Formats: sequence, structure tokens, C-alpha cells
Amino acid sequence: MTVAAGIGYTLIALGPSLSLFISVIAHKPFLILTLLSSTLLWLISLILLSALWRGFLPLNSTILWPYAILILTSVIFQEALRVLFWKVYRRLEDMLDAFADRVSKPRLYLTDKMQIALAGGLGHGIAHAVFFCLSLLTPSFGPATYFIDRCSQIPFFLVSAIIALAFVTIHTFSMVIAFNGYSEGKKVDQYFVPVIHLAAGLVTLVNFASGGCVIGIPLIYIMAILTLIHCGKMVWRRLMENRSRR
Amino acid sequence: MESSILETIGVEIIGVMSPVSICMLLVVLLVYSLSSADPLTSAPIRTAANLVYLETPSDSTAQKLEGALLNALVFVILIAVVTFLLVVLYYYNFTNFLKNYMRFSAFFVLGSMGGSIFLSIIQHFSIPVDSITCLILLFNFTVVGVLAVFSGGIPIIMRQSYMVFLGIIVAAWFTKLPEWTTWSLLVALALYDLVAVLAPGGPLKLLVELASSRDEELPALVYEARPTVSRGPENRGGLGLLVAEVSDSGSIELQAHPNNNLNRNGNENLHNSDRPAADNQNFRSEEVERNGDEGERSPLVSYNRERHSSDSGSSGYSTEVLTPEMRQHFGNRETEIHIDGELSPLVELPSLQNQIEMERVGQTEVTSRGIRLGLGDFVFYSVLVGRAAMYDLMTVYACYLAIISGLGCTLILLSVCHRALPALPISITLGVIFYFLTRLVMEPFVVGTATNLMMF
Repeated sequence: MTVAAGIGYTLIALGPSLSLFISVIAHKPFLILTLLSSTLLWLISLILLSALWRGFLPLNSTILWPYAILILTSVIFQEALRVLFWKVYRRLEDMLDAFADRVSKPRLYLTDKMQIALAGGLGHGIAHAVFFCLSLLTPSFGPATYFIDRCSQIPFFLVSAIIALAFVTIHTFSMVIAFNGYSEGKKVDQYFVPVIHLAAGLVTLVNFASGGCVIGIPLIYIMAILTLIHCGKMVWRRLMENRSRR
Repeated sequence: MESSILETIGVEIIGVMSPVSICMLLVVLLVYSLSSADPLTSAPIRTAANLVYLETPSDSTAQKLEGALLNALVFVILIAVVTFLLVVLYYYNFTNFLKNYMRFSAFFVLGSMGGSIFLSIIQHFSIPVDSITCLILLFNFTVVGVLAVFSGGIPIIMRQSYMVFLGIIVAAWFTKLPEWTTWSLLVALALYDLVAVLAPGGPLKLLVELASSRDEELPALVYEARPTVSRGPENRGGLGLLVAEVSDSGSIELQAHPNNNLNRNGNENLHNSDRPAADNQNFRSEEVERNGDEGERSPLVSYNRERHSSDSGSSGYSTEVLTPEMRQHFGNRETEIHIDGELSPLVELPSLQNQIEMERVGQTEVTSRGIRLGLGDFVFYSVLVGRAAMYDLMTVYACYLAIISGLGCTLILLSVCHRALPALPISITLGVIFYFLTRLVMEPFVVGTATNLMMF
């Protein structure tokens, strides 16, 4: 039973990403490499951030504002990193195109570019889920479970798995949105991503109130669904444009 | 719609990374499931890796550090001596003796060490099996393993999985070493690897040069990793081609665009291949011919290989004569990767001397045939990850990423340098750094935020 619970929590958090990985990414080696490097990038960003905050830890768990500042700095830092990732990717895209010309293969299709963005986003998302949720799940494989005072209705592991799922979705698809926004030069998309990320981060502050997770989790899922809808619309529009152009 | 290049680039890198990942994953699972069975109370075992000093938790830090360093030093000296012995034996053409010795040692590793691991698995999960069945199964497993590793005519997937098994078994034994000794041992081995492969007169360098001057396989276990997915002939020309091409023309390109090659991440091989497609074609057929020659000359080649080489020698690329199966093999040859374990896991007894010869080398090299990765790398990557698994899942994941990225860096360096390179140093350094960073810096931060349900 306990092992089943552990596996269940893991699959709640990572199941959708797992199926994305198997269906889209696993049979294209380059996408796997992209995923790994973006995961590594996210890990490095997390290490740098925690090195920055290490001196102030442990934070007083009754006051809210240090956490707000923490989330603010983290989101700003990670969004800056996303711009960096995009710059690296631009160079990579040029190289791939040049290579494709050389071996007389077609250049990258629009779908290829989107898949690379998806792999990059999935890397961020998986890293998030692993470090914030999965690594704390180890005790859940044993007997007993754990509740925290502020959210006494649901086991802690389940809450964190559910929140992690929302964040995986946000991270994965906001990378697709961001890359498209950068390549089209659309300001709306470029600002949409940091705003959604920041909003989702700040919404988790609601969990700070006693019983807040009942409100906080639906709010985060609204963010995730917003991201999904926006991403879906944008991809659909670009694919249609692409088809009509051809 | 023609297939995009995304599917072909990086096939080799993934071909090397996936067995390493599988090996690490299984070692982590093993460590998890078995360490919960017997908590820290189990008495530390005496092996060649802790001859000098037996760590006990009550010792002071300075004592532990000193003892661990001494252990590592002794172990590295032992390995160096044994490797020199191997070089000497190989130099005087004791190949038969070496081969038989390797067979025996593989038998012993699979039989005794593997057997004891199976026993503890059976005990832990209380699998109902009687001793006779268990013995017969173990014996079968071992014999098939030795046959699969050392003789031809056995499906390549068997050979690959047995190599991974060997790696797992040896790594699982190494994870039983005490903590400080493990860390100092890993660092020492990375340094030793660096010296042995790169320094003039280093034993591994001597061995590789000797083997290539005689056109023989290295006197060691050979891991061949071919892509299991069948790829048609049109799919040739992935990163392997790039790497091979760079290794062919690397020096010239290096002079032409020096700053392209120095420290650009991940992609300089793309830069390097400014050659027209026609040239690629030429190169490709050259490569095939060269493979063919090598296949006929080399005494250790399996039946499969020879068949291929005679095919390619006579019929060239896309002739209709080839049966589909042959064609598939043939297509694979371009992307064929050999992973050589100069690791001869030679284990005498679990009690004393057992791990002296465990690891010969980790090194990768590009020859005309592709990329090779020492099985020793498998082992020590897994040891690092397994040691990390005893602390937390977070450190496991961080170490895994660090090791894999280190391996990627080594492969990229390989395509630039075109010579045998040690694969341990970069990965182990990154792994150790990430382990301690994660443990000391990141963990309090992440746990502090996540237990308050703050995420971003």
C-alpha cells in the first residue's frame, strides 16, 4: 500500500510529462539532449539561487514577506535565464540549419522548432517537479504519511504532487510560448510568460494562510490552464499560417 | 515529409548515455531497496579498497580524512601495479592467458558477487525459491553471461545487458565502502585516470597504443552498443558522422577556425563540418572500407562483423543484393559504437583482494570504428550515484545530471582531440561538486520552501 501511494504521488506529479517524453521526445535523440541540458540549466539556477539565500535561512515561518521576496527574486532570475537559453538556442538553430544544408536534408520545420522549445520547457518542468516534490517524496514510500498544520485536510505529499503538476504544465508550455514570442517578436507573448510565472509563484503564498491550500490550488490550476489555452491557441495559429503560406 | 535532422543528430551520444543511465538507475534502485533492509548496523567489509584503514562512525574527522586518503592511495597504487602487469603480459603476447583469465574473472564476478546480491534480494523480498533451483538458475545466468561477453554469435542485446549487469554488480559492491573512503577513492581514481591515459608512459596509454599498433582489440571486455531501433540506410549521417568526420579532418579545421573549437558548448562539431555533401559521401565509403579491413584483420572479431565487412567490401552501399536484415545491419554500422571495457573485473574473493583489479580504466577513444567507453566508467559513475542515493533523492538527481553532462563534455572533447581521453575526470569532478553543493546549499533552501508549500 505504501509503495503504491509513493508511486501514485510520483505519477500525479510526473505522469503527464512522462507520456509527453515517451510520445514526443524519446525517439529523437537531439530532443533528449535538449531536455537534459535544460534540466541541468535549471538545476544550476536553483543552486545559485539557494547559494544567494543560504545566509538568510532558515526563514521565520510566521512572517510572509521574506517568502514573497524570495519568490520574486527567484522568478526574475529564472526569467533572465530563459532569455539566455533563448540566445543559446538561436545560435544552435542556425548551426542546425547550416548542418542540414550540408547533409542535404530539409531545414528545421516549424514543428521541429516547437518540439525543441517543448523539450526545453519539459526539462525545466521535470527539474522543478523532481527537486520540489519528488525528492521529498522518499518518506511517502514508507509507512505513515505527513500533514502540515496549515493544510490539514490533505496529506502533504499529495498537495505537493498536485502543485508540482501545475508547475510542470506552466513551465513546459510557457517555454513554447516564450520561444514563439521571441522569434515572432511579439511583446504580448514575451511578457505573458514572466507574468504567469510570477503570478503562479505568488499564488502559492496563499498556502501560507491556515487552510489556504483549498483556495491556493485551484488558483494555481487556473494559471496552468491559462498557459495551456494560450499555448494551444498560439500553436494552432502558427500552424495554420504556416500551412496557408505553403 | 522527409525526416528532419532532429532524429539523426546525437544518436551516438544517446547510445552511450542510455546504458550508463540504465546502469545508474538500477544501482540506485538496488541501493535503495537493500539499504533499507539492513541499516547501518552491518559490519564494514574488508576489501582491497580499505586495506589500511577501516572507517568507524565514531572516529574524528581528521582521522577519517587521513585514513580515507591512505586507502585511496593504496588502492590506486594497486591498480597501477596490476595495470602495468597487464601491459607487460600483453607486450609479451600472453593473450591466451589474458583471455582465459578474463573469462574466469567474469565468471567469478557474475557467480559470486552477483550471487550474493541475488541472495540478499531474495532475502529482502522474501521470494520463495529453494536452494537447488536458485543454484541452477545462477549457474545458467553466469555461464550465459560469460559466453555472451566473450564469444560471438550471440545477440548483441544480450551482450549489452550483461555488460550493464557486470557494471551494476561491481558498483553495488563498491557502494558498501564507507563514506569518506568512497569519496577519496573516486577523486583519486579520476586523477589516476587522467595520468594513466594522458601522461607519456601511462599504463593505459601504453596499452591502447600497443593494441592499435598490433591492430588487435584491447585485451579486455568489449561492450558494443548498436542502436536497437532499425534504421534504414537513409538515416545515416548523424552526429557519429560528424564526430568521425571531425576526427578525420579535425586538425585542419582546428587550424582554420581555432576559436570555434576551443570552448564552445555542445556544438563545435557542427561548426567543424564545413564540408560539402559529396565529401561526406566519400568519407563515408572510406570509413566503411576501413572498417572492412579492420574486421578482416582483427582476430577477435565476431562472426557478425566479418559478414558485414565482406558485404561492404564487395557490394558497397545500396545494392539490391542485400537482404533486409543485412541492410539493416549495414545501415547500423555507420552508427555503431563500441564501448570497450578495459575493465576486467577480476575478482578473487569477496573478502580480501577482491577489488584490486576491478577497474582498469575508464577512457573513451575514437578509432576508425567509433566511440568506446570503458566499463570502469560505468562502474564509478554508478558508485557515485549509489553513494548519493544513500543521502537523498535530490543529490541522486543532481549527480546524475552532472555525470551525464560531464560525459557529454568528454564526448565533445573527444571529437575535437581525436585521441584516447579519460572519461572519469570531468564527470567525477562535476559529480562531486554537485553532490556537495546540493547537500550543503540547496537542500535547506528547497526543503524550507517546499514544506511551506512555496514553489516557483
